[in-house]
Amino acid sequence: MSRTTLIIGNDIKRRLRAPMATILFLIIPLAMTALIGMIFDPGSGGETKLPAIKLLLVDKDKGLAAKFLVGAFDQKEIKDMFQVTLIDEAAGEKLMKKGKASAMLIIPENFSDDLAEQKISTLEVVKNPSEEFLPGVAEEFANTMAVGFSAIVQVFADELKIIKSASKLNLEAISIAELTPFLEMARIKIIALNSYLSPLLLQLKTSTTTKPGKTAKPKGFNIFAYIMPGMLIMFLLFIIEAFMRDIQNERADGKIRRMMFSPLTTRELIAARIFSGWLMGVLICLTAMAVGTLIFSIDWGNSLLVLILVVVSCFWCAAFFAMLNAFFKNKNQAGAFAAPIILVFAAFGGSMLPLEQIPQGMRWLAKFTVNNWFITGSQEIMAGGIPHGSLIVLSVSGLFFAMVAMIALQRRLST
Amino acid sequence: MQQTILEIKNLSKSYGETIALANFSLSLKKGEVLGLLGPNGAGKTTLISILSGTLRDFTGSASFKGQDLFSDRRLKNLIGIVPQEMAFYEDLGALENLMFWGGLYDIPKKELKRRALELLAVVELSARAKEPIKKFSGGMKRRLNIAIGLVHQPELLLLDEPTVGIDVQAKVNILDIIRNIGQQGTSVVFTTHQLSEVEQICSRIAIMDKGVVLAEGTLAELIRIVGEKEIVEVSGEFSADAFSAIIRQSDGNGMEILSVTDNQAHLAFADSERIPAMMQHLFKHHLPISDLKIKSPNLEAVFLKMTGRSLRD
Repeated sequence: MSRTTLIIGNDIKRRLRAPMATILFLIIPLAMTALIGMIFDPGSGGETKLPAIKLLLVDKDKGLAAKFLVGAFDQKEIKDMFQVTLIDEAAGEKLMKKGKASAMLIIPENFSDDLAEQKISTLEVVKNPSEEFLPGVAEEFANTMAVGFSAIVQVFADELKIIKSASKLNLEAISIAELTPFLEMARIKIIALNSYLSPLLLQLKTSTTTKPGKTAKPKGFNIFAYIMPGMLIMFLLFIIEAFMRDIQNERADGKIRRMMFSPLTTRELIAARIFSGWLMGVLICLTAMAVGTLIFSIDWGNSLLVLILVVVSCFWCAAFFAMLNAFFKNKNQAGAFAAPIILVFAAFGGSMLPLEQIPQGMRWLAKFTVNNWFITGSQEIMAGGIPHGSLIVLSVSGLFFAMVAMIALQRRLST
Repeated sequence: MQQTILEIKNLSKSYGETIALANFSLSLKKGEVLGLLGPNGAGKTTLISILSGTLRDFTGSASFKGQDLFSDRRLKNLIGIVPQEMAFYEDLGALENLMFWGGLYDIPKKELKRRALELLAVVELSARAKEPIKKFSGGMKRRLNIAIGLVHQPELLLLDEPTVGIDVQAKVNILDIIRNIGQQGTSVVFTTHQLSEVEQICSRIAIMDKGVVLAEGTLAELIRIVGEKEIVEVSGEFSADAFSAIIRQSDGNGMEILSVTDNQAHLAFADSERIPAMMQHLFKHHLPISDLKIKSPNLEAVFLKMTGRSLRD
């Protein structure tokens, strides 16, 4: 057994021998996910203020019913919820691919005519795969509108025909006496409008933007899947930081000095420390994800991609904290600085607040946090994509940190 | 003639303006137990740190069996170090600790296990081999600390104050272990500021202070430095200046002042019959004396003579 594997084995054995801290770090993100999930779950009755949902509206019909539908977004309560942009389909698709909106609602051609003639018409909602929660809200809203519209269209079928034909005539030529029987009929229908209406005349078609040639499976919205990646990466940072702080603790209590009495090199020691921090992080993260699947029914997506993302993210964390410990003078300094750094990462990286809720001017900060890359990476995998960006950024920066840690720690441990 | 195993030449090391070692030179023969005696800050730990390869930026050289100690990492397999601090994993058992620390050296696993079990018997910890160290007493931990330094069967063992902070019984036990190690042919460098320990187990003694060796030899050779003089230790509520002034007024023939500090002084008398007269002189000048001790020539007297201060200072 090499000296490096001996140290790694010893580190893991000691953690497993006294597992309370590790178990706590495993339980806390799960508990936080459960708690926040229950508070924000739409079914729980909790009041939450969502950010305005960016909705692109494509009106390919331009008819009366389409205008009525577009006008519905001008109602005060709905206006607060949606930031609607009327746009043509091609421009809308471009913006969706760039991830500039949460969803796009397409009103098909002949929408008004089809409704007047009691034909089935389909509203299309295109969702942004990098956001899970807000497109879900847009979809639900469109669905509700479709149900409402279907009901109105079925009840007032005759009246709609008259309105349609009347729109082609001179309104002054129609007398009140001619309109009275239809108005009376409409009045009776409004009174009777509590009966069940079926089938729906208006249907909803949902899709998610993907790269050309790929298809994304539409999934139901799971708020826990939205929260857990953020919680997980925040606590992974805490776990790995605690593990890497052993460098400071063992320097202070003389263990590292004693190790250096042996033929062990500082390079072997640092590699062992980074590797054991990384391995412990991977084990805990995968366990937490498995528990998350069992408890919260989270579908993490492609297992191999998830494993790669976890491996890369944990390596980033281990290398980052190894580097920081090379610059901290002692364990007190490490303790004082590490927690604020993790909390800043969590705040700006999307662990505490959804990225959409962070002020626009500060969102660029997220790009410097492992939290952001892990969260967006997880969401991409859940949406059926491959998180190329996250994997590249985390691997490259992780390797850079590991290199700096190796050089700086060698210097610190040799003096 | 015994082979010289360790040769240290002109080692110097300073921390800023503080000199820890100044042209320190020493040699050690195979099977020798060398006591390195010095007060706190004498440079003992700095010397051990340099020899163990954990301290850099020094000048001078050290060779082990004729090879440069600092150029060949494999030589570390032949040197065992017992640091002052008890650096091991308290949540692991004694055997697990020995297997871990021994595993850092180039020893086959089977041989390591055999050696670890053998050492646990030597330090009388076999019965508690699997118990977590955190449940051990201070003395047991000190014994394990020594066992860890010996697990890879070194030819040279460096012990940095291995008896600090333990009771008399545990100390006797540890000194026995060190004596046996020396008798088995391992060369030992043993740093301490306890005179009695050095007297008990060391075949050769080096007195060091402020980074240099002041005197070196066997106990008998060192005592000859102070001669067959009686040492009087005077304690009381007096200042060093007041004591010196009164002594100067006396007939100081046959008396030597070894050290004078506030509240304590050491005087050496070639003729013990002169001691009562000197005491009378001190009392006549109303020097507030609370205690008087008359000692036969010993290592403490040598130390006082060489350093001008007590080891407790």
